Amino acid sequence: MESKKEVVFGHAILLIGALIALYPFVSIILQALTPAPGSGAEGWTLENFISAWTRGGFSRSLLNSAIVAFAVVVATAIAAMLAGYVLSVLKFEWRVAVFALLMIGLVLPSEARIIPLYNLFASTGLLNSYWALILPQIASSFPLATFWMANYYAQLPESLSEAASLDGASEFEILRHIYAPIGMSAVLTLSCLVFLFTWNEFMLALVLMPDNVAVQTAPLSLSFFAGNERTTEPQVIAAAAVLVALPVVVAYFFLQRRFMQGLLEGAVK
Amino acid sequence: MASVDIRNVRKSFGKTDVLKGISIDVDDGQFVVLVGPSGCGKSTLLRMIAGLETISGGDIKVGDDLMNAVPPKERDIAMVFQNYALYPHMTVAQNMGFSLKLKKIPKAEIRKKVEQAAEILGLTPLLERRPAQLSGGQRQRVAMGRAIVRDPKVFLFDEPLSNLDAKLRVQMRTEIKSLHQRLRTTMLYVTHDQIEALTMADVIVLMNEGRIEQAGPPLELYDLPANMFVAGFIGSPAMNFVHGRIENGAFVSTKGVTLPLGVAPEGLEGKDVVYGVRPEHLHVVTEPGVGAEAEVQIIEPAGSETQVHLTLGGDEIVGVFRERLDLAPGSTVRLTTDSAAVHLFDPESGRRHIL
Repeated sequence: MESKKEVVFGHAILLIGALIALYPFVSIILQALTPAPGSGAEGWTLENFISAWTRGGFSRSLLNSAIVAFAVVVATAIAAMLAGYVLSVLKFEWRVAVFALLMIGLVLPSEARIIPLYNLFASTGLLNSYWALILPQIASSFPLATFWMANYYAQLPESLSEAASLDGASEFEILRHIYAPIGMSAVLTLSCLVFLFTWNEFMLALVLMPDNVAVQTAPLSLSFFAGNERTTEPQVIAAAAVLVALPVVVAYFFLQRRFMQGLLEGAVK
Repeated sequence: MASVDIRNVRKSFGKTDVLKGISIDVDDGQFVVLVGPSGCGKSTLLRMIAGLETISGGDIKVGDDLMNAVPPKERDIAMVFQNYALYPHMTVAQNMGFSLKLKKIPKAEIRKKVEQAAEILGLTPLLERRPAQLSGGQRQRVAMGRAIVRDPKVFLFDEPLSNLDAKLRVQMRTEIKSLHQRLRTTMLYVTHDQIEALTMADVIVLMNEGRIEQAGPPLELYDLPANMFVAGFIGSPAMNFVHGRIENGAFVSTKGVTLPLGVAPEGLEGKDVVYGVRPEHLHVVTEPGVGAEAEVQIIEPAGSETQVHLTLGGDEIVGVFRERLDLAPGSTVRLTTDSAAVHLFDPESGRRHIL
């Protein structure tokens, strides 16, 4: 049993942690709601958001981010389910070598890849296109996603796939009818994480799509917008930052229960 | 339905030989129980019949078809797993109908077959539930239902009752036996529990360290064990073994106690033997000068019978008595036995001498 003292102490630590985590977020929201200099508004106002939206061209860049994130999440989830199944359930001969190869993908810093990537896309003519952002991000999410799914599937009893194969299912049918539906909470948690990484990706966007405003993603737009407006209207920049972060927050709240469930499943099973 | 012909089957994992040449003929419609201690290879053999393990040597035939290289999904064999292996995201009805759905059988027909199987197993009110909402016994029935629906050539059971409590285990044992009597499908059943083997089997195959020690009807293994391993494994409490030698046509233990023997065995005079007698074949006698003297150590009354631990000279033995005896720890009793129920074993090879 925990003593009352321990409970109070534990909660105090959690409270301090929560305050530290929330402070930047709350301060930026408060700033976004404060009237900008030269505005006629008083008290709280939403006009900074309208101003950021119209001046920063965020409708286009948010749509671009959505297209990129959606493509990366869907492709990564499908690829990770397939690869995770092969590595954990089929146990094919070269799995250790493949895991080692994936490990390289996990430990290699993204900065080390960016120049070769630039050269690759420049030579293929894909610079300044959606592909320049989608393809590398699928590749960089794939190792973690595969580990995630392989680990999840490895925890399921082997007899599940054996029972299905005796029931007459082919390997693909076992994945489709048994492992894919059972692994859905793990896939959703994974998708949430990949969405977060992809949405916030800045470096790749900066290097690989610098000259085409039509395909620029939201964080890049935010950076350009902030660069232009920094000295004059911080309130509008704060509003723009909230707009860019909002989809991630909304996605998290929608998937929160699944997300926590997915994170815990691996721990308690 | 089909016979199963297992011919000199071997299995090795690396350098370890798990099965060292197993041959079993399972007749069409027979209930065969593979029994043995943990690690004897019984589950491995069952998994090889199912196609879940490769065969290192020998042949497995189902009916007239050689199965060695046939993948599990094409063997038409159903298996009930120890952990049931139910699909957690499907309802009971979906679990049972899964194999038929894969075969693209019309929905109405699947429904009909699932309902028929559910009727047999008493699962009708549970058809729309998921496995997590079922008790252990109900899950066990669903696993059997999944097998029944398919109407397979052979049923395999891999220790299906070991996760159930004692009472439910007895109940499910009867249900599986009655299911076999009803369906008359060939069944191979793996267990480490010799009571399950004795109560359910048409034929018991007793395995040890990758070999068959003895195969035959349950009472044959009980009454005429081929060796000390079989004699010690089948029957509970286990058979008593006393080491000694044959002197002047009688058995004398190493501690000097003379035990009753019927006909003086030929060719064993002066030889070392192991005297085997089942606990239920020991009797307490009151006439003076009859039987061997033993000291009572522990008394375990169980209502219908009483189990008594005794020391005979220095050897520890167990007796099971159906009559009510007035015994106390430390007291002395005189024991005798039916000479027909005595077995003599070779102490080196463990084989039973034919008396």
